[in-house]
Amino acid sequence: MSEIMAIASGTWKNILRMKVVYFLIFCVWVLVGIASMYEILTIGHHKPLMMDVSLVLNAIAASLVVLSVTFEIPRELRQGVAATLLTKSLGRTQYLAGKAVGICVAGFVICALIAAGSLIIYALTFSEAIAGPMFQAHFLLIISIIPMASMAVFFATLFPEVAAPVLTIIAIWFAYSTGIIANIPVVYGGLLPNLDLFNFKSHAVYLKPIPILYMILVTVWGIAYALFLLMLTSFFFKVKDIK
Amino acid sequence: MEEYVIQTEDLTKSYDSWFKKASRPALNKLNISIPKNCIFGFLGPNGAGKTTTIKILMGLIRPTGGKAVVLGKPYDDVESKNRIGFLPDSPAFTPTLSALEFLDVCARLLKIPSDTRKQRVEEVLEIVRMAPHAKSKIGTFSRGMLQRIGIAQAILNKPDLLILDEPLLGLDPYGRQEFKEIILAQKQQFQASVFFSSHILSDVAEICDNISILNKGKLLCAGPLDTLLSGGGEGVTVDISGTVHVRELITEADQVVKKGNEEWELFFKKPESALLSRINNLSEQFCDAVQIRKGGEDLESFFFKKIEEDNARNN
Ligand SMILES: Nc1ncnc2c1ncn2[C@@H]1O[C@H](COP(=O)(O)OP(=O)(O)O)[C@@H](O)[C@H]1O
Ligand SMILES: [Mg+2]
Repeated sequence: MSEIMAIASGTWKNILRMKVVYFLIFCVWVLVGIASMYEILTIGHHKPLMMDVSLVLNAIAASLVVLSVTFEIPRELRQGVAATLLTKSLGRTQYLAGKAVGICVAGFVICALIAAGSLIIYALTFSEAIAGPMFQAHFLLIISIIPMASMAVFFATLFPEVAAPVLTIIAIWFAYSTGIIANIPVVYGGLLPNLDLFNFKSHAVYLKPIPILYMILVTVWGIAYALFLLMLTSFFFKVKDIK
Repeated sequence: MEEYVIQTEDLTKSYDSWFKKASRPALNKLNISIPKNCIFGFLGPNGAGKTTTIKILMGLIRPTGGKAVVLGKPYDDVESKNRIGFLPDSPAFTPTLSALEFLDVCARLLKIPSDTRKQRVEEVLEIVRMAPHAKSKIGTFSRGMLQRIGIAQAILNKPDLLILDEPLLGLDPYGRQEFKEIILAQKQQFQASVFFSSHILSDVAEICDNISILNKGKLLCAGPLDTLLSGGGEGVTVDISGTVHVRELITEADQVVKKGNEEWELFFKKPESALLSRINNLSEQFCDAVQIRKGGEDLESFFFKKIEEDNARNN
């Protein structure tokens, strides 16, 4: 466990130290705030618009954070950093798990900052208390980072630097759409998680509470899916020659 | 405890891919045994297969045939890595971390207890003279500084076995001297065994007690340095100059190299004791003119001879 945390802390430090990350968080807050100016254009629907915008931007931020690992792992493999680490007392599965945990922690911190900021802006703009479903929707969005991180680690381990992020974006996009294209069995019955399970924009906007049991189940499902995909990745990674 | 720190049996690696077969294996049935507490120089020209061997021993790549045992465990055993220090051929470390932070990650991976970790990291930074740069980002370091961090992370856990791939590359003459001292200290103070590849022959001759020579994936010879250089045991090299009295030796030598005006290098493969004592007497009488060197050739000519013999055989 301590090995996994050693790798994980290196990974999240790496991301959380980049100044551009905080600039982007600030940009998201600004964009959320701007939504209040659309009162006329949306014929008075600027309140739901702001909630919607905050959730969409937070989801985009989550996928961007997750994507960073698809650059980091291939680079470490190519430059030989991975070789230095893997010749310590560190199993290959632990290396992958460390990367996944690290990216999740970084994602949690960044998305929690975005969520907190957006909700505060919402409350201040409309002088209104923040309702439970808004918290719940942001919370589930943050949980969706777990399965996404495992997808990114999967592609990052098996594909080179350019292919890995492109394939990850496509896979995340498909995974968000599995609810819509559920009748295409290859996608739905295949390896992709259904990220739509974490998407509760309408509940947040229309203040419909999400059952606590559902939240627990979907969180457990997300973790289980991530563990499954990590095992699969590690199965391939173990036989890979490392430069 | 195991008698050998590294043992390989018919170790073979071929870099085939599914669309292209390699023209020859990068490593072809390598059999070496490295005794405990020795400094073992692993020599060979570029592309000989040194890095390939080292990567197999460290579990980074998988051999296509044969066996390798490191510290009594299979090469891919994760636990035994705690007892090994490794310096890769082109050291690369997380560029965004500082030297201190990176070594701390390494120390944690090596399971150094948290109460001694900080102290040990500072200690090794001191040993490799990187203490002033401890807080700088690794991304800003020069080649030589990276090599220093590389050595630091390799000796962090006071390893029983050090595996170093071209450790002296990229260092200035001072650095090379310091590194040789660090390597020697590992053997003398901590009873470690050192296995290192190099093609800087003078350094190898200086610190190694055992060597092996690899060419095109095949092992040409292996053994204690002085035995190999004296051609099997009792060889003696004598440098003579000038004086007429010593000329008689020339006719008896097995090999004569004229080194300059009135200067010769004589090599006796298996001198009999009578001859030996005569040489000894002469060297006492004419200490300027006769100098005895234990062993035979210097490593450089031995290396070239072996490689060229092998290349000629294959053509
Ligand atoms: N990843 C690889 N793919 C294909 N061939 C390789 C690879 N790595 C090394 N080789 C080949 O294996 C041989 C041995 O290389 P290497 O072990 O790096 O030699 P050395 O370290 O002795 O200079 C060389 O001919 C090299 O071209
Ligand atoms: Mg090499």
